[in-house]
Amino acid sequence: MKEIIFAGFGGQGVLTSGLVIAYTAARAGLNATWMPAYGPTMRGGKANCVIKISDDENETIGSPIMENADCLVAMNEPSLDYISFCKKGASIICNAAAVPKDHKFPEDAEVTFVDFPEVARKVNNEKGMNIVAAAYIIKKYNMFSDDFAIESMCKFWEEKGKANFNELNTAAMKAGFELV
Amino acid sequence: MEKKLWKGNEAVVEAAVRGGCNFFAGYPITPSTEALEYLSWRLPEVGGVFVQAENEIASINMVTGASVCGARALTATSGPGGSLKCEGLSYASRNAVPFVLLNVQRWGTGLGTLDSGQTDYFKETKGGGHGDYRNIVFAPASMQELVDMAYEAWDVAEKYRVVVTILSEAYLGQMMESVEMPEFKKPAERDWALDGTGKKGIGAYSRAIRGGDGTKVLGQTYETIKEEMQRWEEYGLEDADYVVVGFGLPGRISMEAVHKLREEGYKVGMIRPKLVWPYPVKAFEKVNPNVKGFISIESSDFGQMVEDVALAAKKTKRNAPVYLYAHGKGVPGVSTVAEFCKSVMNGEEKEVF
Repeated sequence: MKEIIFAGFGGQGVLTSGLVIAYTAARAGLNATWMPAYGPTMRGGKANCVIKISDDENETIGSPIMENADCLVAMNEPSLDYISFCKKGASIICNAAAVPKDHKFPEDAEVTFVDFPEVARKVNNEKGMNIVAAAYIIKKYNMFSDDFAIESMCKFWEEKGKANFNELNTAAMKAGFELV
Repeated sequence: MEKKLWKGNEAVVEAAVRGGCNFFAGYPITPSTEALEYLSWRLPEVGGVFVQAENEIASINMVTGASVCGARALTATSGPGGSLKCEGLSYASRNAVPFVLLNVQRWGTGLGTLDSGQTDYFKETKGGGHGDYRNIVFAPASMQELVDMAYEAWDVAEKYRVVVTILSEAYLGQMMESVEMPEFKKPAERDWALDGTGKKGIGAYSRAIRGGDGTKVLGQTYETIKEEMQRWEEYGLEDADYVVVGFGLPGRISMEAVHKLREEGYKVGMIRPKLVWPYPVKAFEKVNPNVKGFISIESSDFGQMVEDVALAAKKTKRNAPVYLYAHGKGVPGVSTVAEFCKSVMNGEEKEVF
C-alpha cells in the first residue's frame, strides 16, 4: 500500500492531485481512499489530502487517515508540518517555487525539489501544476501506464463537465511524467 | 462489478436510490449536506420526490407522512439537526412507520463542531426522543458498508416496521473510496400503506396485527430484532487476553491496530459491531472465557458505547474489566490505539467497569 500526502494552500489544487490518482486507482480495480482536510475558505488557508492506494485488488485499506506516509508533496512551506506524519526515509517532494531550500529536513528523508509552476507554465497551463504533481507521483511509483493515467484523468474531468481543458491537462500530465 | 471512487455522502444516497428510496425530505446541515444536494437532482431523475423543507421538524414529519403512504422515505442530518428530529422519530416508532434516517455525525454537544465524531451513539441506540423505543442502527466503517447498508435499509425497516438509522460519521461522509455500486432493485409490495380506500393504513395495521396491545407487540418485535440482527466483524477472539471493541471508522482503524499488535506477539482480539442496535452480544460469546479485559475505542468525549461493551460482557459471563479510550473529536490513529492497548496491558489504565 502507498500512503501519499498532497498539501498546500487552498487554490493550489492539492485536493485534486490526490483525487486524480485515487480515481485512476479505483478504475484500475485497486482499493483507494481519499481523505481531505481544508478550512472554510476556497482560496488560501491550509489544505491537504491523504490518499492510500492498495498494491493489488486483494489488499484492503484499514485506517484512511494520515499517519505513516511514504511520500509528502509539499506545495508550500507550512505543508512541511506534515513531515511528522511521514515514515522514516519518506520522500519529500517540494515545490521549488515556494519551499525554501535551506529548510531543516529530517536526515533520513529523501528530499527532492521540483519547480511545479514553472513546468506547468512551459506547457501553457500554470493552473495545471497540481496535475504535474500527480503525474510526477504516478511515474515515481510506477502506478499506472501513461496512457491509462491520461485516459482516466480525461474521464475524471469529463464527468465533472470540464472536458474542454483535457488537452491542456494532458500536456501537464505528460510534462509531469517527463520529470521522473 | 466495476469499482468507482465515490464520496461517502453521495455513495450512501445513490445506494439508497438503487435500494428503492423514492422520497426525501430534509434540511441542510454540515457535514451531511452533500446527501441532500445529490438527491435534489437524482431523485427527480428517477421519478422520486425531493423536498428541501423549511426546517428539520417539518422534514421528519413529511418523511413520516410519505412512509405511511408507502414511499421508501429518507431524511439526512447531523448534530443539532438530529436533535430536532427526535420528536418525529418517537411518533414514527410508536406508529410502526418504517423509514430511514442518515445521521452523518459531527462531534460535540450543543452546536458542536464540524469535526468528525461518534457522540450521537446514545441518542441513536437508546431511542433519543421521548418514550421507550429502539431504532435499528447500522454502523458502517467503509464506503462499501455504507453503500450495502443503505441498499438494505428499507428491506429491514419494512420487515420489522421500525425506523432504521445509518450512523455515518463526518469523515466517512467526506472521504472518498473505491466501491462497487449495486444494481437497482424493486421493493417488495407493502400491504399496509394508505391507498385511499380507507381500509388500509397504520391504524388498521395496529388494530389487526397488534391485537390492541401495541406496546406488547413492539416489545416482541424488538426481541425478534435482537435475535435476528446480530452482525459484527471479529478477529482473534478465541485466545485473546484482551479484546478491543470499536465501531465505524475508529473500529476500522482499531482493527488495523489489533492486527499490528498480533504481529508483535500480543494476544489481542477485536469485535467491530456492524450494527450498534441491536448490540452484537453474541460476538462476546466467542471471546476467550479467561479474557483479561475489554477495551472500548470510540470518538466520544466521556464514553458511550463502553456501557454496551460492559453489558455484553456481563450477559456472556466474561467477568473482566472494561477500559475506555475516548478520543473526542476526529478519529484515533493506528498507533494511538495500539499504544493505549499496550498501556492497558501494562496495567497503567484504570477500568471504567
